[in-house]
This record gives sequence, structure tokens and C-alpha cells, in this order.
Amino acid sequence: MEWLSRNRLFSLESGAGPSTAMARYRRLRRLLLAAMALIALIPVSITAGLSYHQYKALLTREAQDQIYWTAESAQRTLEAFLGRLQALVLFVANEHTLDDLSQPQVLERVFGNLKKEHVGLVDLSVIDGRGIQVAYAGPYGLAGKDYRDSPWFQTALARRIHVSDVFMGFRNVPHFVIAVSKRDPGDHDYWVLRVSIDNETLEQFLSAVTSQATDDIFLVGSTGVLQTTSRYYGPTGGQFDVLCPGKTGITVTRETRGVRGVLRAAGPIRGTPWVLVLEQQAFAGRLSWIAFRNQLLVIVASSIVVGGLLILRLAHLLASRIRQADESRELAMAEAEHSGKLASIGRLAAGVAHEINNPLAIISEKAGLLKDILERDTEVRYRDKFLTQVAGLLNAVNRCRVITHRLLGFARRIEVRVETVQLNEVVKEVLSFLDKEALYRGITIDLDLDPDLPGIESDQGQLQQIFLNIINNAIDAVGQSGHIVVESNLRQGTVEVAITDDGPGMTPEVQKNIFEPFFTTKTGGDRKGTGLGLAITYGLVKKLGGKIAVKSAIGIGTTFVVSFPVGVVPDMGGGNGDNLGLDRG
Amino acid sequence: METTSVLIVDDEQEFASTLAERLELRGLAATSVASGEEALDRLRGHLEVPDVVILDLKMPGIDGLEALVAIKSLEPQVEVILLTGHGSSEAGIAGMQRGLFDYLMKPVDIAELVDKIGEAAARRRRSLAAEADAPAAPR
Repeated sequence: MEWLSRNRLFSLESGAGPSTAMARYRRLRRLLLAAMALIALIPVSITAGLSYHQYKALLTREAQDQIYWTAESAQRTLEAFLGRLQALVLFVANEHTLDDLSQPQVLERVFGNLKKEHVGLVDLSVIDGRGIQVAYAGPYGLAGKDYRDSPWFQTALARRIHVSDVFMGFRNVPHFVIAVSKRDPGDHDYWVLRVSIDNETLEQFLSAVTSQATDDIFLVGSTGVLQTTSRYYGPTGGQFDVLCPGKTGITVTRETRGVRGVLRAAGPIRGTPWVLVLEQQAFAGRLSWIAFRNQLLVIVASSIVVGGLLILRLAHLLASRIRQADESRELAMAEAEHSGKLASIGRLAAGVAHEINNPLAIISEKAGLLKDILERDTEVRYRDKFLTQVAGLLNAVNRCRVITHRLLGFARRIEVRVETVQLNEVVKEVLSFLDKEALYRGITIDLDLDPDLPGIESDQGQLQQIFLNIINNAIDAVGQSGHIVVESNLRQGTVEVAITDDGPGMTPEVQKNIFEPFFTTKTGGDRKGTGLGLAITYGLVKKLGGKIAVKSAIGIGTTFVVSFPVGVVPDMGGGNGDNLGLDRG
Repeated sequence: METTSVLIVDDEQEFASTLAERLELRGLAATSVASGEEALDRLRGHLEVPDVVILDLKMPGIDGLEALVAIKSLEPQVEVILLTGHGSSEAGIAGMQRGLFDYLMKPVDIAELVDKIGEAAARRRRSLAAEADAPAAPR
């Protein structure tokens, strides 16, 4: 019967259209949805955002620290390696004279000893102050070569010890030299002791100090020329156009390599013209970051999906509960208003009936006396005419009497006798009173009664009155040759009797007022209504602890449904009733 | 057969006098008074003790129920019919508990009223006869 209560709520009681009310509840559901989504998603978003940024910052710091320490470690190792080599060359120059070293056997022996100490040495040579190589120990037979114009030679003369940039030289092989200049104590001229080291040695050295986290490690010379091969910037001799950092320490910067972000650590190698450069992919490309980001994404997406579904369900549930509560409240208010109206009208009716009864009694007695006199005195002129008029008067008084007595019955509190009543039997008894009327009008009445309908605790006489009123209304509604169906059912602990007719049906306006006292649609013909029948019926049903609802459609018919709870003894504390007989409307 | 006497007590004198007249026409001895006090005065004087009193419920001064109690205390065998425009079953029940014969509503059908008066008078006669037959109380 949900549709009935809804129908009552929106069309009878509240007066608001169902579409307006439904739109209101849809808006409420959307608001709830938005509010709950905000409440649920804001913490998720904040947590996810904070986690994202914190972890990103942590990884960035960690990556920066890692590349810094790797670079610093490589820088120190390289400095130590070159420093030791320089010290060795310096030691040899200090321990020997130009004459000693100019002897090939001596130079060969010294070179042999140096090679034992250090791998990667290519050759060892002695150059006099004019730049002419006076002695050479090594595989390439470069004795007599003139280095007068070589930059390294000039720098070595000027600085005493010099590590050169990587260059190709006469052999056309990338290498660098460590050159030490010394002044000969004899002719006071300068001479230079030079050792060549293949670039391969540097490459191997750098690859040994690099770590897993490092993408690229290489050396850049004083003019930006690559001293070793870079994985990303090209082979030795290529140009590295990036500005190099200051003279000491390690500088870590964030750079872009192609489309990728990289961290670059750079620091000078003391005693050389070189700058050590390390690069590694920024945290975004690292596995731990990608794994974290994916996990975060899965968690956030799952939270949104699961939370969203829960919120949808919850919002729907809340909106439904609110709607149900509103409907119940409005229904209860409407019923209370209706009951209050009935009680007020009842009291008013009682007062009016009493006040009318007294003058009515005077009219009745006066007219009755006239009739008495006229009946006894046969000589009165126009006697028959007077008698007719008096009869009309008495007839009108009688009609008034019926109305006032019914009004008083409407207001009167009737004692209820509660017993176990079978509703099917009550319906059959009532129909037995109306069989002839139905037959006379050609109306068929079909019964579809549930044979297992349980009994209810109620008052049989008042139940008869209820069904008599409703079925009589149905008979009046269908007129001639209509069809009425009376059904009984048990639904969720409630017995229901539905009386359906195929009469003309009622407009929503009529449905809205159908239970109001003095509301009638029977304004003509031989079956005028006082408008109290359904109001009395409503009062009786409420007093017996039941419910009554109506559904009607123009051109289709009307259904009244009366329901009573099983196993509940009605509370007879209030309500109005009538035992004065049948009302038609 | 003895004529039944009826006393009508009603503040609506138009009604009471007309009703009395109609009852007279039907062979009853009917008189009317306008209040409960007047009715009690008549009874206290023992001038005329009616067989039946027809009593309105709502009257100025003492109301119908108070008058009923007073009448019954003065003349227990007098039968009283409440005839009122006020349709309260509680008043009817209260009246019955105080010895009321019956309860009718205005406007009343004269034939129905005459019948009720006849029944009330018969009961009064039976009560009086029973009282007369009873042995006198020992002195």
C-alpha cells in the first residue's frame, strides 16, 4: 500500500505535487552526495597529496645525497690516483739528473719500475729546454720529436708540474700527459720529464668508481671538451656545452636531458684542468618512485571507487529515510489535523443539533397539535388542504430530526465491544443487506476473500457500519449495471479489505476532500448525501486502530482499502462514531 | 380505568404547553411547569402527584438530572422520562443509574411518547400495588 500512502501524502494531505516533492528529494540526495563525497574525498586527497610530495621530497633528497657522495668519492679517488702519479714523476725528476735520464738504459729502467707501480703508463720521455725529446722509453719510438709548440710543454715549463687535457698527439691516440719541469744545475736550463697515460686508463678508472645509481660519469676539460666518453654526450673530444661549477667542492644541480629530468653532480679534480661530471636520472624515473606512485594511484583510485559506491548507497539510503520520515510525519500531521477537525466539528455539530432540536420540537408539537385539531374537527374550511400542509410540515420536521440525530451520533462517543471478529463474515453479512439493492440495479458484486484470513480484535457492529458505508457508496457510484469487487488479504500482519468499483472515479480534488465532514458529491436525485458517511467511516476506522485509504482514477473507478492489524486490541481512548444508521455520502 | 397524569417540566413553555395539549387530546391529564424547582414545589405540596414526569435535561436552575434525583427522593414511584434535544448517551446512562424510566430525544413522535407514558404508568401502578400488598412495617 505504499503507493496509497504516497498518494495521500502528495495529493491529499500536503497539497504539494509529487513532481515537486520528488525534485526536492533528488536535490537533497545530490546535496548529501556532494557533502559526503567532499567529506570522504578531502582527507583521501590530502593524505595522497601529502604522501606524494613528502615521498617525492624524500626521494629527491636521497638522490641528491647519493649522487653527491658518489661524486665526492669519485673525485677523491681520482685526485688520489693522479696525485700519486704526479708525486712519482716528480720523485723521478728529483732523484735523477738530465744526463742520467738522457741515457736510454736509465730511462728504460726507470720506466720499467714506474710501470710496475702504475698500470696504464704508455711511455716516459725527457725533453730539453728547447722542446726536443732527448730520450724516450716506450713502444712508439718517438725520440727526437719536437714539443716546443705543444701547450702542455709550455705550461709544464711555467708551472713545474702539469697534467694536460686529453689530446691525440703524434700517435693519434687520445691520451694525457703528466709533465714535470726541472732546472739543470749545470747549464741552468730547464728540462721536462713527461709520462703519457692512455685515455683508456681514465675510462676504466671512472667506470670502476661509478655506481648503479649513476647513469653517466665523465671528465670535462678546461675548454669544455670531453676528456672521457660520455654515455649521453658523446665520445672523447666532443664538446660539453654545459657550464661547469666552481673551483672546489661538489655542486648538485637539477638539469634536463632531452625530456627527462636528471640530477648532475660536478666538481673539479684538484691539480688538473678537469671537472668530474656525474649524472643520474631524477627520482621520477626510478623504480621505487614509479612503484610508489603506482601503489598510491591504486590506493586512491580504489578509495574513490569504493568510497564513491558507499557514498552513493548511503546518500540514497539517507535521502530515502528522510523522505520516509517526512512522509510519515506529514501523514501523522494530516491525520491528527483530520482527527482534530472531526472532533471540533463533532462538538460543533452536537451544539448545533441541540440548539435546533428545541425549536424543531416546538414546530413539531405545534404542527402536531394542528393536525390533531384538524383530524377531530371535520367542519373546518379547507380542512384537507390544511391537513396536507401540516403533513408536509411534519415531514420536513422529521427530515430535520433525522439530520440532527445523525449529527449527534457523529459527535457521540460510542462504547466499543471488543471481540474476535472474522472480517470475511462481516463483509458477507453486510452484502446480505445489500443483495436486493444490487440485484435491482443490475450490479454484480464479486467476492475474492482469503479463506485463511485471521480474526482481528475489534467491534463487529462498527465494522459492519464501516463496510456498509463504503459498499453503499460503491453501489451509488456505479449506478446501473456496474461491477464491484470485494477482496480480502493478509499482508505483513495486517488484514486488508479492498472494495473496488468501476464507477466514474474521482478527481484528485474530490479524493482530497473525501473524508472531510459535510463533503458530498451527491447533490441531486433520490440519494442525496449529508457528507457525513465517509467522515464517520474514517473516524470509526481510526478508532478501531485501522487505516483507510483511497485510490481513484477518472473513467476507471475507485478502490477503498481498509486495513486492521492482527492481534492488536484497539485503543478506545478517542475518535468519533455513529450508530445511527446508514449514510449515503 | 384511571386517567394517567403527566407533568411536563421544560423551560420551553411553547413546547411544554403544546405537548400538554396534545397529550390531553389523547386522554391524558397533562400539565406543564417551566423549571425543576416548580415541579418539586408541586410534589412537596402533595397536591397532585403525577404518574409520569416528562423532564427536560438542560434547564435554568436545577438541571434535569438533579431534578430527577430530587423527584425520586420525594416520590420514588413516580416514573420519569427524560425528553431532551441534547443527544448525550452519557446523560441517558447517568439518568438510568438514578432511576430514570427512559430517555427520548426531541423532536419526538407523539405516538412513541404516548406509548412510553403508558408503559411508565403501568410500571408505576405495579409498584404502587406491590407497595400496598406488602405487610406494614412493625411499629
